[in-house]
Amino acid sequence: MAELLQSISGGLGQGSIYALLALGFVIIYKATRVISFAQPALMLAGAVLVSYLVGAVGFYAAVVLGVVGAALLGLGIERTVVRPMVGKPVFVVAIITLGIDIALRVVVNGFIGNDVRQVGDPWGFARISVLGVAVQERHIATFVTTALVITVLFAFFKYSRLGLAMRAAAFDQETALAQGMSVGTVFALSWAIAGGLAAVAGTFVATGAGLDQQLWIIALKALPAIILGGLDSLGGAVVGGLTIGVVESLVATYQSDFAPWLGQNFAVVSPYVVMMLVLLVKPYGLFGTREVERV
Amino acid sequence: MVKRKSRQAALVAGLSALALIASACGFRDDGGGGDDGGGGNGEIATDVGVSAEACPEAVNKDNGCIYLGVISDLTAGPFAPLAVPITDAQKAFWKLVNDDGGIGGYDVDITSNIKDNKYNPETHRQVYQEIKGNVLALAQTLGSPTTAAIIKDLKSSNVVSAPASWTSAWEFEDVIIESGTNYCIESMNSVDYAADDLGAKSVMAVHFPGDYGDDGAGGAKIAAEARDLTFDDVETPPGQDNQSGAIQAIVGKKPDVVILTTAPTEAAVIVGQTAARGFKGKFIGTSPTWNPALLKSPAADAFKALYFQSGPWAPFGAETDGHKAMRDAVGKVTPNDGYTAGWAWSYPLKAALEKAVENGDLTREGLVNAVKSLETVDYAGMLPDEAGNFAGEPNDAVFRQSLISKVDEDAPTGVSVEKDLFEGTTAKDYELSKQCF
Repeated sequence: MAELLQSISGGLGQGSIYALLALGFVIIYKATRVISFAQPALMLAGAVLVSYLVGAVGFYAAVVLGVVGAALLGLGIERTVVRPMVGKPVFVVAIITLGIDIALRVVVNGFIGNDVRQVGDPWGFARISVLGVAVQERHIATFVTTALVITVLFAFFKYSRLGLAMRAAAFDQETALAQGMSVGTVFALSWAIAGGLAAVAGTFVATGAGLDQQLWIIALKALPAIILGGLDSLGGAVVGGLTIGVVESLVATYQSDFAPWLGQNFAVVSPYVVMMLVLLVKPYGLFGTREVERV
Repeated sequence: MVKRKSRQAALVAGLSALALIASACGFRDDGGGGDDGGGGNGEIATDVGVSAEACPEAVNKDNGCIYLGVISDLTAGPFAPLAVPITDAQKAFWKLVNDDGGIGGYDVDITSNIKDNKYNPETHRQVYQEIKGNVLALAQTLGSPTTAAIIKDLKSSNVVSAPASWTSAWEFEDVIIESGTNYCIESMNSVDYAADDLGAKSVMAVHFPGDYGDDGAGGAKIAAEARDLTFDDVETPPGQDNQSGAIQAIVGKKPDVVILTTAPTEAAVIVGQTAARGFKGKFIGTSPTWNPALLKSPAADAFKALYFQSGPWAPFGAETDGHKAMRDAVGKVTPNDGYTAGWAWSYPLKAALEKAVENGDLTREGLVNAVKSLETVDYAGMLPDEAGNFAGEPNDAVFRQSLISKVDEDAPTGVSVEKDLFEGTTAKDYELSKQCF
């Protein structure tokens, strides 16, 4: 039982990271109908920024500045590279974001250099006992932070004018424009929020072992999460991220005992298996909007 | 109304994710190359990659030029942190050779034909074809799966190549001039060390899939069986988020010693988290598993308490003539054992070129013949001379010594020698008739 709870707690910690990344994907998708593949690079950039600032201002201030930095970076990318493509097919824009991701990562890699960089988090691999289960402190920190960020984000969408504008623009851009909302601001803001979320996620990925040039690959696990939850559902992104994290952790813990015939390391592909199964049964994800097509 | 296209978008997302993983990027593509054929110094026969004209950036303007190629992981691949120092050390090595007058009336140029393989076998093959016609030999071909992609052509075209990898497969190829022992024998020695010096009764190999990890695990298994130790084989994929299976296996089975063949961040997660969960056994990692920056990570205390590192030669700060020459030549850099490796790997090629010049045959075939006649190589003390035996059968010629280092915060790369080059009993008796994986 302790092993099960320990595995679930680890999975929730890891899943929180996927959820933050998935939210970034979904926010940009809702606003612009584009899946932005620049998220891995933004995540890496945010974490690297934190690793450089931590010596000067301490961990918590470094995270705040890193989030602001990555948000500005996202904003800058939207204004300079993505904005001129408004009105062009979304597929083209998605491919451009792939290019942005690669270009940005090459630049950021220059700042990472040869060694593993540290974000200087206060948790390390320390564990505390929660109801008799040893849980990593950094997993608790990740989970709590994610819960906080999500609460703020949902409140923002529900109660603020700008949040309402974003929802309206996501629902119907032309009507939103007719009501005097600036769709351009909505686009820019969605990229900024996605950048900030990616920076938080990147920092938490790098707690413990640190960050190297390969860290970005983790961001791709947010893709099964958003497909599981539904591409245009914020709640779905959170549920998807947490589910993927827990599934992965449980498979890693128990697969060798219960299904050794699947071979070693089945946990690595388990998120994608879940994604395939969901695509078969619910092509729009668990919480995604069903497509209405007129023939 | 905006049309909802989430279904297609989901498909595009999946496909693009694949594309993203498969893609990589680089901007360091130094073109250029040497003249095919050429005169040389009259008595010396030459063909591809040797020219009578001076090198583009010749130190000795009256010398001819030998062009060597470098195919390395310079920007976006997983081994770039090691590959860049390896390449820099090799540039410094051949510059020193030129400063000393070159080889037999020729300067050596390795900067005109440097290519980035991004650690992708397909790219490796492509850039190899681009520079193949310009170079006599390869001063570096980084990676084993990548080199495997061109090995047939290397053999049929007689292109002698210094590898930047340590798999046991290279013992069986005449054109590959490897230095130091391979992962397989290194891991045998590590298991022998574990049994003899650490009193281990059980061993677990935790390793990456592929020829790096599998070669190491293969050697560990052979040694564990020879020493009658309990053995477990745990394959673990790259990625620090993917290590929970390995951690679970180590904490569950509690082996006395874990032989680790991964990369540094994976090692940090595995060593740090198992220690946090009360694991008290020891780890012995191969050299690509270590990075000095791990001593700044939260896993530092765990590394200090539990970690040893095996290696084919002593780390950056060692006091051999070769190490000193390397440190002088690379100048003020952040210490990294990539420099040590790039330097050590260059000695056999220098010896082969000198031998070929001595034989008056600097053609590709002449160079292969020179390699086949090398029984010793002067490694300036980094390795014993007999480590450079390329003349005998694999089982006779293979070098069977490796060393063990311990974590040492004061050493330049965070490790210093604990047990100098030794040959364990398993490696001594082992009949090397095929590669270990």
